[in-house]
Amino acid sequence: MAPVLPGTMLFSWEFPYMPSPLKYFFSRLVGAIVTILVGSLLVFLVMKAAPGDPALAVLGDFATPESIADFNRERGFDQPVLVQYMHWLNDLVHLDFGTSLSIASGRDIGELLAFRLPNTLTVGVYAILIAIVIALILGTSAAVRRGRPTDTIATAVSVLGVSMPDFWLGYMLILGLSIGAGLFPSYGFVPLSESVTGALHSGFLPALAIAAPMAAVFSRTLRAALVDNMDRDHVTVAKSFGHSRRFIFLHHVFRNSIIPFIVVVGLQVRYLLGGVVIIELIFGIQGVGSLMVDAAFARDYPVVQACAVTFLAIVLAVNFLVDVICAMLDPRRGGRS
Amino acid sequence: MTSSTKNDISRRTILKAGVIGGALTLTPFWMRSVAAAPACQTLNAGITGFSTINTLDPARAALLPESYVLWGVFNSLLKFDENMKIVPDLAESYEAVSPTILRFALRHGVKFHDGAEMTAEDVKFSLERVASEEFGSPHKSNFDAIKEIRVVDAYTVEVETHEPFAPMLSYLTNTRTGSQIVPKHVLEKGTPDSFAFSPIGTGAYKVAGFEPGASVQLEGFDEYFESGKPIISAVNIPLIAEESAGVTALLGGSIDLTSTAPFAAVSQLKQNPNVQVLKSPGVNTRFVCLNTKVAPFDDVHFRRAVSLAFDQQSMVDVVIFGEGVTANGVIPSSIAWASQPEKSEILKINVEQAKKELAQSKYGAGTEGVVLTWGSGWWKRFAEVFVLQVNQNLGLNLSVEVSESGAVYQRLQAGDFQASIWGWLGLIDPDEYAFGILHSSGSRNYGGYANSEVDALLERARGEMDQERRGEIYREAEALTLEDMPVLPCFESNIHNLLGKNVEGFKQLPYSAFGSQLAAVSSC
Repeated sequence: MAPVLPGTMLFSWEFPYMPSPLKYFFSRLVGAIVTILVGSLLVFLVMKAAPGDPALAVLGDFATPESIADFNRERGFDQPVLVQYMHWLNDLVHLDFGTSLSIASGRDIGELLAFRLPNTLTVGVYAILIAIVIALILGTSAAVRRGRPTDTIATAVSVLGVSMPDFWLGYMLILGLSIGAGLFPSYGFVPLSESVTGALHSGFLPALAIAAPMAAVFSRTLRAALVDNMDRDHVTVAKSFGHSRRFIFLHHVFRNSIIPFIVVVGLQVRYLLGGVVIIELIFGIQGVGSLMVDAAFARDYPVVQACAVTFLAIVLAVNFLVDVICAMLDPRRGGRS
Repeated sequence: MTSSTKNDISRRTILKAGVIGGALTLTPFWMRSVAAAPACQTLNAGITGFSTINTLDPARAALLPESYVLWGVFNSLLKFDENMKIVPDLAESYEAVSPTILRFALRHGVKFHDGAEMTAEDVKFSLERVASEEFGSPHKSNFDAIKEIRVVDAYTVEVETHEPFAPMLSYLTNTRTGSQIVPKHVLEKGTPDSFAFSPIGTGAYKVAGFEPGASVQLEGFDEYFESGKPIISAVNIPLIAEESAGVTALLGGSIDLTSTAPFAAVSQLKQNPNVQVLKSPGVNTRFVCLNTKVAPFDDVHFRRAVSLAFDQQSMVDVVIFGEGVTANGVIPSSIAWASQPEKSEILKINVEQAKKELAQSKYGAGTEGVVLTWGSGWWKRFAEVFVLQVNQNLGLNLSVEVSESGAVYQRLQAGDFQASIWGWLGLIDPDEYAFGILHSSGSRNYGGYANSEVDALLERARGEMDQERRGEIYREAEALTLEDMPVLPCFESNIHNLLGKNVEGFKQLPYSAFGSQLAAVSSC
């Protein structure tokens, strides 16, 4: 049986005659490929169905019906949509994302992504780290001081965090910490490859804006898991052995609570990618999210496709990673590692 | 047991990694503060509201942000000064030797960025390149009137038109017309792909770097022909798609100037001592385009009734937060020598008169119709404010259809509409507005309007080389069309630039010149 795991996998395959870890890996891989195929086809169809024309984005205010028709003919847009999709897919199999139509005419999309993906990943990972740190502090203190003012305050902060839209929080952070206090730049992001401290400094506000709603969800999950484990029998037994509260918490409560916590972290990556799109625009981060928005507005189909596939691949990879980590933390899970 | 040991290590490693990550995340930055602003080494000039630059080849550029950059990288024979007067640029002087021949004396010693000298051959090559059929420039039609370009000597060039063609002077300025002078020796064997992103011009700046959708870097050109320019030798141009993000970037000191400002924020920003707000009525026109070929706008009385049933000023107030002026015609008021000096009665709200016109039309109260618009911003509000007023005042049943701008544009060109919100920005000659929108063969006349008297006047204006007399003809022609109301002129938006408080030397031009002003910025 395929284990019930937090994946967003649409499909799962069974390989009956394979050793179980390998079987597991292959079923995930096939599922991932099918998910990418279906996902990219959906994006392709939606983009094609939307009104608008990449020719207009390139030819601008001076477009004529003739020049629009020429543009579309040259790029094969007069062919049936499915034929166009198959051409695109064929190139993808050869690891060729194609060239941009209307946001960077003629540029290799692989190059665009190579420049932008590291920035998105930096901010995304940074946001997750911030969210985890906040959640560890809030969640643990709320659970340990259950029912006391600390718990109430932590809960209130969490509700606030989850209620604030990230774009609004982004602007508020700019107003307060950048324009007001002058602690951080209000726009622009220094790539990690240029300067590590520069990236951490310029990426802090955007990462915090993305992290806030995630941190709220994380800390609620952690609190619930901790509270749940604190009431378990083995904890009572450990107490009766006279172990210190600190020892019991770290070894019997926290360790068992960490798995649902990591599962939720993995699940939130999808929402994180949604948040990244808006946050990149507000903070001027040259990432995959802002590239995708620009491309969608300019009907640059191949760029949108490439970004969608990239996002899908990230989500699938993270899900896989979460499974592996959970299996490592809990040997009982699946028995496959 | 082995496996459990292995797992133990893994768990610890993971938890440790988490702790280290957390420590890294939180510690150092609260100590930091922004370094004191150094002397201005690099000007950060944000292009706001746009993020796409496909090419910096002036003959191919079709988008406003592309022009913003290439205005600083290239020159044309002529340019506009701050009063929208045409003055020489690469030309030292010019004269009309006959009604069809313009002669330009070129500056001596002007260098391209690669060190080669710019001569009459380059001028001839550049203009013929844009005008040629096979090159397929979006600006080709501007130069259809040219019969021949002659190189008289290395520093003298003549442009001959088939017929007297007054707009040619405007088309030869450094604006969105494709007339920028490019190097013949680089392009005569065909345009290399690299020219789109590292073009070679004569301008004050060279392109030093470009990342699509992200930013353009410019570097001062040491051998630029205007002495003392550029003052600041490095310019970074981030492409900021969100206008509001441009505002926060400026307020936070990340950029020094913007190419636009969100209308709604202007009045508040004017109160801010850290920001300089430049604004003036721009060279643009916003109108409701009516399809005179289909019901109900095929009836002149119905069109006149609608025109009398809405208030332009309330549009300016509500749609663009007061950041503009009401329109007297389709030629923008900033082209003062050709635009309508006074507002015609038909452009003022007069419900009583509107009802009289409606009574004369073949359509009555309850008539239905669809007004096209797009997006979610002020273009949509524009349509809503219009429809609301007209429906209330005349009892009509017009509705708004919201689409996407490209789709609306295609429907206009195909004539597949009843009425649509529309506008033009960045056109600089009155001919482009009046002839384009109102002449029966005009490329922007989507509503199929035809009036032979107007056609004749607009054709005559093209041949009138005297600016004052030419302006009078446009006024006469527009006065006639205002009786027919093929489009409902509504308003002209202000153009804005936001500057940091230390920025000096940037001058705003009504056609929102951006790149051409950067060389004059002296501090930031």
